[in-house]
Amino acid sequence: MKILSDIAALLTGMWITWKHIFRRPVTIQYPEEKRTPYPRYRARIVLTRDPDGGERCVACQLCSASCPVDCITMQSAEGPDGRRYAEWFRINFARCIFCGLCAEACPTLAIQMTPDFEICTRDIMDLVYEKEDLLIDGCGKSPDYNFYRHAGIGVTQPRGSGAEEKPPVDVRGLLP
Amino acid sequence: MIYDPIDIALILVKIGLVFVVILTLAAYLVFAERKVLAWIQDRKGPNRAGPFGLLQPLADLIKLLTKEDFRPIGADKWLFYLAPAMAAIPAIMIFAVIPFGAPLTLFGHTVQMQVSDLNVGLLLFMALSSVAVYGVALGGWASNSKYALLGSIRGLAQLISYELSMGLSLVPVVMLARSFRLSDIVNAQSGCWFIVYQPLAFTIFLISIAAECKRIPFDLPEAEGELVAGYHTEYSGMRFGLFFVGEYINIIVLGGLAATFFLGGWHGPWLPPVIWFTLKVFSFAFLFIWMRGTMPRLRYDQLMHFGWKVLTPLALVNIVVTGWWLVLRG
Amino acid sequence: MPKLIIDNIAVEVADGVTVLEAAQSVDIPIPHFCWHPALGKAGACRVCAVRMMEGPVKGIQMSCMLPAQDGMVVSTTDPEAVTMRRNVIEWLMINHPHDCPVCDEGGECQLQDYTIAGGHGIRRYDGKKRTHINQDLGPYIQHEMNRCIQCYRCVRFYQEYAGGTDFGVMGSAGRVYFGRFREGQLESPFSGNLVDICPTGVFTDKTARFRARYWDYDMAPSVCPGCSLGCNTTPVARYRELLKSIARRNEAVNSWFICDRGRFANGEVNDPQRPRTPLIDGVESSRNEALKALLFRIAQTEERYGTGSIAIVGSSRLSLEAALLLPTLAELTSSGALCYFASEEESGRTLPLFQLLTAGRSASQRDVRESDCIVVYGCDPLQDAPMLALAIRQAWRNGATVYTVGDGISLPCDVTTVDRLDAVPLSDAKNPVLIRSAADIPDQLATTLHQHDHLKLAVLFPAANSYGASKLALKHLGVSFEQAISSGDIKGVISVEADIPQKLLEGIPFVAALDWRMTETVQAAQIFFPTTAWVEMKGTFINHEGRVQRFNKVMNPGVPIRGLDPAVHPPHIHRTAPPGGEPQPAWQILAAVIEGLGGELITEPFTGEWERLRGLDAECEGVIINDI
Repeated sequence: MKILSDIAALLTGMWITWKHIFRRPVTIQYPEEKRTPYPRYRARIVLTRDPDGGERCVACQLCSASCPVDCITMQSAEGPDGRRYAEWFRINFARCIFCGLCAEACPTLAIQMTPDFEICTRDIMDLVYEKEDLLIDGCGKSPDYNFYRHAGIGVTQPRGSGAEEKPPVDVRGLLP
Repeated sequence: MIYDPIDIALILVKIGLVFVVILTLAAYLVFAERKVLAWIQDRKGPNRAGPFGLLQPLADLIKLLTKEDFRPIGADKWLFYLAPAMAAIPAIMIFAVIPFGAPLTLFGHTVQMQVSDLNVGLLLFMALSSVAVYGVALGGWASNSKYALLGSIRGLAQLISYELSMGLSLVPVVMLARSFRLSDIVNAQSGCWFIVYQPLAFTIFLISIAAECKRIPFDLPEAEGELVAGYHTEYSGMRFGLFFVGEYINIIVLGGLAATFFLGGWHGPWLPPVIWFTLKVFSFAFLFIWMRGTMPRLRYDQLMHFGWKVLTPLALVNIVVTGWWLVLRG
Repeated sequence: MPKLIIDNIAVEVADGVTVLEAAQSVDIPIPHFCWHPALGKAGACRVCAVRMMEGPVKGIQMSCMLPAQDGMVVSTTDPEAVTMRRNVIEWLMINHPHDCPVCDEGGECQLQDYTIAGGHGIRRYDGKKRTHINQDLGPYIQHEMNRCIQCYRCVRFYQEYAGGTDFGVMGSAGRVYFGRFREGQLESPFSGNLVDICPTGVFTDKTARFRARYWDYDMAPSVCPGCSLGCNTTPVARYRELLKSIARRNEAVNSWFICDRGRFANGEVNDPQRPRTPLIDGVESSRNEALKALLFRIAQTEERYGTGSIAIVGSSRLSLEAALLLPTLAELTSSGALCYFASEEESGRTLPLFQLLTAGRSASQRDVRESDCIVVYGCDPLQDAPMLALAIRQAWRNGATVYTVGDGISLPCDVTTVDRLDAVPLSDAKNPVLIRSAADIPDQLATTLHQHDHLKLAVLFPAANSYGASKLALKHLGVSFEQAISSGDIKGVISVEADIPQKLLEGIPFVAALDWRMTETVQAAQIFFPTTAWVEMKGTFINHEGRVQRFNKVMNPGVPIRGLDPAVHPPHIHRTAPPGGEPQPAWQILAAVIEGLGGELITEPFTGEWERLRGLDAECEGVIINDI
């Protein structure tokens, strides 16, 4: 009879919830108990350096373009050696949603995400991080990559001596 | 009628006692509900305010009292202010007729463990539970909000529908006890509880009171998934608190009535009557919380269908059968 | 009129139109690098390949090289054509460096777009890339030859279109090099167009180097205020700093290009010395206080020196909106003089020639480009209005004869020098154009115009809105300021973006100025209101031929972030308005003054005969005011 099976279904549900009352809660009591996030956890953003110690960030604006909440702003500038770098670089962590699109977009692997998620403060202005707060002394993930070694413009090495380059063309040469 | 001043004093003491106990119980029922629901969902529940979170109701009270008292533009001012009281006061008034213990003899006075042993106690309960409907209706209508209005319309229809089956399910009880007086009904069960004679009426009554206090699976008037918070969407602070606490007082009161009508009231072996009564009330409260942790919400047409086409006919049939049975038994 | 079918769409085009243009006319995009509407075809990049299914030619063809013919059935989506285009893009990318993040073209790069559109995402070739040594091409153009894809657009524009001789192509085969014989500044006054025309990042704007990306630009259609030609531009701003201007196409005016003078003219807008706060006697104050002080001093001057002692001075660089409000202001201040020109000399250079521009007489740049006989008479277009010289060159390239009256005029084309205007065979020409600026001998010009009905006149006025100022000056009987003060009655001046020399203001006790530049007048003024530059407001200019053109607001006024303290990064301060954001459009300040003087509040300066200009679209070709 349908009504009996309906009642049985109700009672089954009641029995399942009854059993769960005596289960151990899965809650982690956060400030007292802490869990170590995985290395690829997406929290506080840092700017890394290349293996030669230079800033990886070339301020190409791709992170700010990909940012869905517009929390990244920067100004690029040109160094004396022709290196493009960030004159200033600002991430407003009060706005950041830690989606990781900036790290994904970064062509020089400069912007990376760390597992440090505890960045609350009382004053919201303290959450506006400038370049000096973001820049770390290390390569982070992908420790071997230096964008300027592959970029084809003479910054870390003379023109035409990069990893995938032929020496510069002699325009006035007549040989084919 | 001339009253003994001591009787009047006793009545006042009882009123005060019932008031304090019921309100405290209602507050802790909220806490208990959050805890039990948390356990059902493998969580811990409130545990920050005081030891084991026991001061949580106090924290909630302070929060509600200090919140902004807000009234939407276009709301009907007086009805808006009146509605929460209309929801909470009738609920607690019902308790006046519920006997919560055996009569006690104190300094030569026989003290009824009941605020007022009215000879039409059951009818008073029916009347007051009908008045409580106005809290829902007026709250929703006065808010000048579509969600609140929808919630209150649903609430009206639901409460009126299920009051019918609730009333009908109590007719056999009266037939068995041959009295509307609640103390008589309790005394009639000193031998055998009415649940044994009337399992069907008990089931109908249980379902109906779940609908009466708008509990899952009958919480359509405040269905948060669809109507934000239903008829009390626009309320904040202690006005919302009154709606809220009224609902939990309702649980206690209706649990007490269910115990009185079907589980022999304060009757029970070994333990003192008040404890028995309290235990029965608590088990009903737990049942409601447990149901909330288990069941989904009904659809509106299912609700109406179930009330009018299943519960009401069943209750009518049950009255007829009980009548025959009583006649046949003599 | 050949009829052909492109991707199942029937198209009918004019004779000589290429298949590429025919496809564009029905919104079918075909990728192209070397083909450019202003430069024509070269067949160098091979990326516009389409498949001809039926018709006189069959198989894979370059759509830019192929004139549309009857019976052609073209497919741009045929797998063979798509594969061809994808492979071509991959070949072009073989030597292209991996430097988009540090390239200013990134984001507005045609090569980038077509590479992605063509589906070439992963590099398969792992051989080495050819490299070049760059040249220093002066302060405006940055050279990065590694990025070159040999489309020849730069050299075709520089040598053929603009007539430059110091830039060309060198080397052979895979070593083709575009540059100068030796390093040095590019000599052509149109060299900035290399930035616009290069489909990738070989030539980028050095003045805006590494300043912003395309998607962050604040930009809007605008008009160059540099001279009276009114070339269409798209100024680009970021962080309240005007970065650069890009040429905007307007076939009636400048076609695709602008001159370097208009392009690299950001300095005045970004100038740190630019006055940005209202001043009362040199003390910074609020807009309202300055307004109160101005009203008080107007009343004071009138009281002290009688009515007619105040002169209202506009200028020919003032936007039309503000210029239209000046007569109302003059009426309310019962002023003695309404001036649209500061000096008698400017008035003399403008008004007599303006009166010659009767309906249908004025020549646009398009008229110059399409003319068959051009007379340059008493002016030097390369100096006064370089884009007109470029237009003359296009006419010359199409076979026109260019005459110059008198010696000493150099043009980027061959010219025939004649002694007198009479010596030009104007009667033989079909649509001759005479180009003229100063009017020391207008009588002879008037006679010539009278004799030749079909002769059009292109007048080089001194400033962007000279035409509008002249029109209003004639209508409201305005005199030049120099003439107005000669009577000695003028004791107060309200200068609205006018350049009144200091010596003319001597002995005038009350001077108020509205301006966005730090001029002599501003320095002499007791009460000053900052106004917005043309990129900071919506406004209107009337160019030399009477073409009314709307320019839109590009950016909000304010001190550029680059100039703020601390210099390391922008300050951490909550603001509701930018610092230095007080400037308002001149007409709005005038409207407030008019309201303060008891006039009615003006919310729309275009009324009466001007009403039809209200909805003028900045993206349209503009309207000739004679037609209104």
